[in-house]
Amino acid sequence: MSLVWLYAVRLGGADRPPAGPGVDGESPRLVVEGPLVAVVGTVREEEFDEAALARAMEDLARIERLARAHHAVIVEAAAAEPTAPLRLATVYRDDEAVARMLRERAVEFGAVLERVRDRREWGVKVYVDAKPEAPVEAPASSDRPGTSYLLRRRADRDRGAQARERARAVADRLDEGLAQVAAGSHRMKPQDARLSGREQEMVLNATYLVDTDGEDEFRAALAAVEAEGATVELTGPWPPFSFATLGES
Amino acid sequence: MPELPRRVEAQPDTVGRDLGRLVLTIVELLRQLMERQALRRVDAGDLPDEKIEQLGLGLMRLEEAMVELREHFGLEPGDLNIDLGPLGNLLGPEAGSR
Repeated sequence: MSLVWLYAVRLGGADRPPAGPGVDGESPRLVVEGPLVAVVGTVREEEFDEAALARAMEDLARIERLARAHHAVIVEAAAAEPTAPLRLATVYRDDEAVARMLRERAVEFGAVLERVRDRREWGVKVYVDAKPEAPVEAPASSDRPGTSYLLRRRADRDRGAQARERARAVADRLDEGLAQVAAGSHRMKPQDARLSGREQEMVLNATYLVDTDGEDEFRAALAAVEAEGATVELTGPWPPFSFATLGES
Repeated sequence: MPELPRRVEAQPDTVGRDLGRLVLTIVELLRQLMERQALRRVDAGDLPDEKIEQLGLGLMRLEEAMVELREHFGLEPGDLNIDLGPLGNLLGPEAGSR
């Protein structure tokens, strides 16, 4: 027996399935329902039913393989038409169940897909030197060591607070500027410095939905940020993962 | 199913260090709270100079003692900064870099 794994729903391209391979090594197919085209794959039931997927979620290596294949098919599917990615592990009994779901949620999908038409997602991470400035060496008065210790610590505290405040202000200003040239924005928590492996502190971690003909303007806004001394990491273009990802409803 | 982590086994050479780390973390948290409270009182400006000097000396000695103890257990300042997940780090974001 087999099941149907859902990758994405898009508008059009009903005659061009992605080449794959998909999560089970299969060639992706299309299920067409009116203007909506679901990109699906036929997968083995014993590997992809609820129990098997629950087991798979505890196996990091397997999740990684699934996520990579899922992602690759979505990227391919989203190359030309407005496309809404599905969350990992969205599985239906058969094509008829997929078609029924498309009929039932046609209005919602239509709205989501129109929003991302001719737009792509870009990821932006901005790093700045958030380290407080080097301490001003206060003259260590030998007759009052305790007092000078406390004053030194107070200066440290104030510099740290100012540095964090500056970083936050930079991030807010950047996000505001970029959001103005984007059709949508989604801000996430900055990652810990240990994850990024950088000396600088991440102050902005966000994704933007940008018109394809507005990308020059978007890049110009980023360049302005870089000119101020921040490090900008741009990723993409991505399918609109942050703006059109569909889940079970 | 993944196996249970092996670190549950009590290994004599690491148990001392791990316990030391835990105790030092708590002492360091208290020391920083006391220091912050002292700085707030200095900010408020209602402490006589002698009192400030006493507080400062006490906190300074305490910090020196902490550094010695930390080195005794072979720990870095950042080792005492426990990651509390969504709550952030126990000793704040900057504590590890000092």
